[in-house]
Amino acid sequence: MTAVDNAKAPLATPAPRARWPLGSLAMALVVGFLCVTPFILVIVISFGQKIEGAGWEWAFTFANYQRFFVGALWPDEVTFLHLQRLYYALYYAVLASVLAVLTAFPFTYLLTRLSRRAQSIWLVFILASLSLSEVFIVMGWDVLLSNRSGLPMLFEVSGATDWLKRTGWFEVLREWGLANPRNVKFKTSEFATILTMSYLVWPYAVILLYPALSRLDPSLTEAARTMGAGPARVMTSVILPTVKLSLIGATLLLFVFLLGSYVTVVVFAEPAKQTTAVAVYESVRGSTLDAPFGAAQAVILLVTAAGFLAIAQWLTKRSEAR
Amino acid sequence: MSHFKMNRRKLLTTATSAGGLALASGMIGTPLIAQTRSLRVASYGGYFENSFKDHVFPAFTAATGIEVESVTQPNSADWLVTMQQATAAGSVPTDLSLYARDTMIKASRLGDLIAPLDMDAIPDAANLDGYFIFEDGTGPIGVGALSWVSAMVINPDEVTAPESWAEFWDSSVYESSLGMSKNFNSQLLDIIAATFFDGEETFATDEGIVALIEKAAELKPNVALWWTAESQMEQSMKNGDVIGGQYYHDVAQLMAADGFAIRSIFPKEGNPQDYGSWCLSSLSEKSEEAAEFINFTSQPSTQALMSRMIGTAPLVDVSVTDLTEEEFGSVSGSPVIRPAYEAYLDKETFIKESWDRMLAGA
Repeated sequence: MTAVDNAKAPLATPAPRARWPLGSLAMALVVGFLCVTPFILVIVISFGQKIEGAGWEWAFTFANYQRFFVGALWPDEVTFLHLQRLYYALYYAVLASVLAVLTAFPFTYLLTRLSRRAQSIWLVFILASLSLSEVFIVMGWDVLLSNRSGLPMLFEVSGATDWLKRTGWFEVLREWGLANPRNVKFKTSEFATILTMSYLVWPYAVILLYPALSRLDPSLTEAARTMGAGPARVMTSVILPTVKLSLIGATLLLFVFLLGSYVTVVVFAEPAKQTTAVAVYESVRGSTLDAPFGAAQAVILLVTAAGFLAIAQWLTKRSEAR
Repeated sequence: MSHFKMNRRKLLTTATSAGGLALASGMIGTPLIAQTRSLRVASYGGYFENSFKDHVFPAFTAATGIEVESVTQPNSADWLVTMQQATAAGSVPTDLSLYARDTMIKASRLGDLIAPLDMDAIPDAANLDGYFIFEDGTGPIGVGALSWVSAMVINPDEVTAPESWAEFWDSSVYESSLGMSKNFNSQLLDIIAATFFDGEETFATDEGIVALIEKAAELKPNVALWWTAESQMEQSMKNGDVIGGQYYHDVAQLMAADGFAIRSIFPKEGNPQDYGSWCLSSLSEKSEEAAEFINFTSQPSTQALMSRMIGTAPLVDVSVTDLTEEEFGSVSGSPVIRPAYEAYLDKETFIKESWDRMLAGA
């Protein structure tokens, strides 16, 4: 939504030769209305009151927010269930976005060293893969990680399962939740969740890093090399500092994008490790019809994302000022 | 739950859009004649609704001359929200809706959504057990239409058939191997109440509910999949990711008939049975036609027709129908566990939050 807000700003400011001042004002109003109304509605609903066994009604109560932090049964019992879900949302999003950027970085760097023609073929291919929806990607990985059609089958047929059992590693995998008594299993697991999430945003990572890396002046690295710096030294003292901001920016954008992942988490994460996004959907569309609590969770998720972006903005400004 | 029922129906259909096309062409094909008596009936979409349109509605029109306009309802809970908003706006999309019992009770508590039925005009409802005719303060508001059973299933190639649900708690056999439904009200608690406690009574106190949930927590190490969509469980049984769990009896029969290693079992405690009721919108002007329709579906012959064509369990005693033992076995069995609907609603937030905490270990 920050992207939308940013996009709104130039629209609101009149163009230098505004031949249609009323037109641009109307445009600003429409965009403002479309952006702001749903948010206001969600915020207002988040103060609503749940009626047990029925629906909910308009009200002004902080109970839904209180429930998020200490649970519905407070003060008799305290639970951090909802905070735990927020934690997992952050945990998956951080790991998956960092993993995606870390793996996309060397790939994109090497990509920019290729011929123009090869670069455009790769970029078209990567752009095309963006058209795959989350559902489609999750389905693919679901099959790949399934017992009879995917990796576990490969483990069994290749004898890796037997080898693991002989060497005792199988017991370790069972402790990690990556095996049942018969074979290895990858669903449900954090491994599958994070893997799929980073796969999901990997093309975005490449496309976000590409402009910065392709603008990288080759004469800089060449100069460093002629002065005797090894490849590792060139990477750490020339390339990385130049593209640092792009790396941070890409990671943040992917992080915010992944905070709201739904399908991946529903399919690959066990219920103990599911996220706020899943809980929001369950509250609003599930049998309890608890839209106010769903809205409150959505607002908290939004505030969290905004908070992270603000911190990042501040850090960036500070490093630029130096 | 009906919610998942709907998903399954959607899956089973070859193409939902085909249903939409059929509906559109049906409407073009039969222009409404002013004097024709008509009724709008909503049912869960896809395969389910198509079966109604192909088999049940034509039989009803043939018997009474009342034309039926079929309306797609996604499931119970979402439809209740739609009907609530439509009623507030003063114009509803259907006369009759099909609600699961918990949604019906919820609608009754929300108030002003469902009109009471004239039971004198529905004499054949006498075929149904009184439990399936639901009355609230305003009168009888729902008459049972059809039911479904969520049963114990196992992979017969991997394990022998358990005699009791209690065997699922044995980690030496089922460690990380079961698929159970993730929803707090999808009847695992009812199964536990019937297996280890005093049945529905256990839900009467908070302590009882906590004890049920603690027992469910002991099952966690054996559950590899907590499914939310029916298709997840179907795939996991087919792939061998799970070797047992909780699933719909009729779909399990269909899968077994297709040659997959799945067997649906009635253990000694039984399986939970849920059902849908016909409810009349408070804004409907077709109460007479609705009563005739409900009367028609309450007849043993219609109940048998629905079992054969839609795969639902009859709500009348099987002995009054002409269903063969085999036909009945493919849609139902005995004994059945009746879910503690009222408790799930009265203590909604408490049970949901305690259940979620149990799942999350928080």
